[in-house]
Amino acid sequence: MGYVVARGSQEAILNAEALFRELLPRGAGQWSKSLASYLPYLLDQVMAEAGLWAPELAAEALAQTGGDLYEALLLLRAHRTTLPRLGKAQLQKKEDLLLVRRLSSAFKSIPGGQVLGPTLDYSLRLLGFSGTQGVEPETTAAPQRYPSVRTWLKEQGLLEEDPVAEKDLEEEIPDLTRQPLLFPAPRAHRLQALARGDTGGLLALAYSAMRAYNVHTHPTVAELGVGYLEVRAIHPVRGGSFRLGRIRLAFAEVVGHGEKGYRLGFAASLGWNEGRVIAGAMLDLEMDRPTHPARSEEFVLVHTDPVEASGFALHYKLPHYVTFFSNWMSHQEAALEP
Amino acid sequence: MNPKHSYAYLDPEAKREIRRKVLKALAIPAYQVPFASREMPLARGWGTGGLQLTLSLVGPEDVVKVIDQGADDSVNAANLRRFIAHVSGARTTTDALEATLIQSRHRIPEERLQEGQILILQVPIPEPLRYVEPSDAKARELHALGDYSLLWVDLFEEHLHYGHSRKGAAYPVLVHGRYVMDPSPLPRWDLPKLHQAAHITLFGAGREKRIYAVPPYTQVEPLAFVDRPFQPEPIVGSCRRTGCRHVFLNAIPQEDGSLAYEISDQGYMEKLLAGKESGPLFGEKQHG
Repeated sequence: MGYVVARGSQEAILNAEALFRELLPRGAGQWSKSLASYLPYLLDQVMAEAGLWAPELAAEALAQTGGDLYEALLLLRAHRTTLPRLGKAQLQKKEDLLLVRRLSSAFKSIPGGQVLGPTLDYSLRLLGFSGTQGVEPETTAAPQRYPSVRTWLKEQGLLEEDPVAEKDLEEEIPDLTRQPLLFPAPRAHRLQALARGDTGGLLALAYSAMRAYNVHTHPTVAELGVGYLEVRAIHPVRGGSFRLGRIRLAFAEVVGHGEKGYRLGFAASLGWNEGRVIAGAMLDLEMDRPTHPARSEEFVLVHTDPVEASGFALHYKLPHYVTFFSNWMSHQEAALEP
Repeated sequence: MNPKHSYAYLDPEAKREIRRKVLKALAIPAYQVPFASREMPLARGWGTGGLQLTLSLVGPEDVVKVIDQGADDSVNAANLRRFIAHVSGARTTTDALEATLIQSRHRIPEERLQEGQILILQVPIPEPLRYVEPSDAKARELHALGDYSLLWVDLFEEHLHYGHSRKGAAYPVLVHGRYVMDPSPLPRWDLPKLHQAAHITLFGAGREKRIYAVPPYTQVEPLAFVDRPFQPEPIVGSCRRTGCRHVFLNAIPQEDGSLAYEISDQGYMEKLLAGKESGPLFGEKQHG
């Protein structure tokens, strides 16, 4: 039976799905509960690209799709469509992040100190090698807040004036999940699009700039931060701020030479995937004066949405025989004319 | 040593390839020799090119120094040193003059290196023409023709627009009057150390798969116009631990918003602090 059937296609798709499930191990629901413990960085990536913090749902989405990341995050985004918006979280600043890891590559040491935190960055990538040893907790608690490197740079007068940086925070923040992305995009839209952009897509485009492909800048990471953010909201009935929960978050702030000081690039994203935010911040830095289409705002933001890009790539599997025939004939017309 | 791996980690054929390409690189100063570049147990961009050079040259009798931005105790330098010592059995040191192999990210030690010493620099972007010609195929053609007009125009435009060159680290140099080379992101302060040096300098770009070299006693000249001479970074401030201001200093932000300075070459600073005698500095060499 071909994949185009005049009748009986309902039965065909049920059979196709049944076969897909048949090839997956049974009881995926069991282990998906432990995914958040065992594969937190995998869940982080799915939740970041989905733009939705929901570890249990993300685990279920991964189990249901057999680990297909694009399918899983589509499930999450589609699920969010059904949820009403009950309220808005209170604004949090970068300094409010409860950092477990922060570093600056621009300076050997920074106020507040370089904090390596949990990382495999400086461990050898030997398969089967595990040099794990227990960690004794420190007797003194880590600081709740660290001084921002950006603030230090600003106080030194090293930063270019940024007209949008300190805009009135009382203003309504445009929301990419409720509004179309139009260009030039509001800064909030840009940061939101980078926050949930496709990890591989952002990386590929940012890497072209890092390799200096048609660009003449040498950005440096002013600060990379990884930590927990407490999501807070105003209680709708009794008023007052209360804590909704904690999310994992990472941000990167990069600096590159501008005409009148350093320019800043910034990206933040759900989860602890550091490459995502470094790539995003590098792209943010380049977008205001791109030297190559691969770093222009419109090109980057439109082409790195994982749901749109993967969905369209897969749509090529749909029947195209009418359009194919039409195009075929238009190329043949000259030959076919009597 | 872990018996599962070849001596010094790399398999013998990878080492042979790298050694042959090092010889070619030494024979054609600053010419970028493509090599296969194996994946190392370290993320790409973290010194895998330098590491492959080090591991293809190291033997059990060698003494190895590893620095990152001048510091021996930087986390990635510490990780590399631990790995190199583990897989080769070589002794490690922080003394630049004692080392037979020095793997470095973006600094040349201040003490003058001698014949028999090999300095291995990690390179992010080996192609000096990348900024003016993004295509590698075209850049190789320009190198073959010795056509560096794009770089000269770029330098000219910087002087025209800003009154001086804005190139910081990774300032392009002309080697042996033939090939223009990216010296890796060394501060400009370090470039004169490459000129007519007694030691061998090897450059390894793992991600970009290139090896190149400056053999001993070779002309290395930063690109500059006769009436607009090359300028190294000025030394501002003085080292908070030694009071020195004759070597390259790191700037360290302080809580109160000010900047403190400290000698960047940690091995040299430790000698000064311990009251040990240091060797003559590169800077003390007036003529090549």
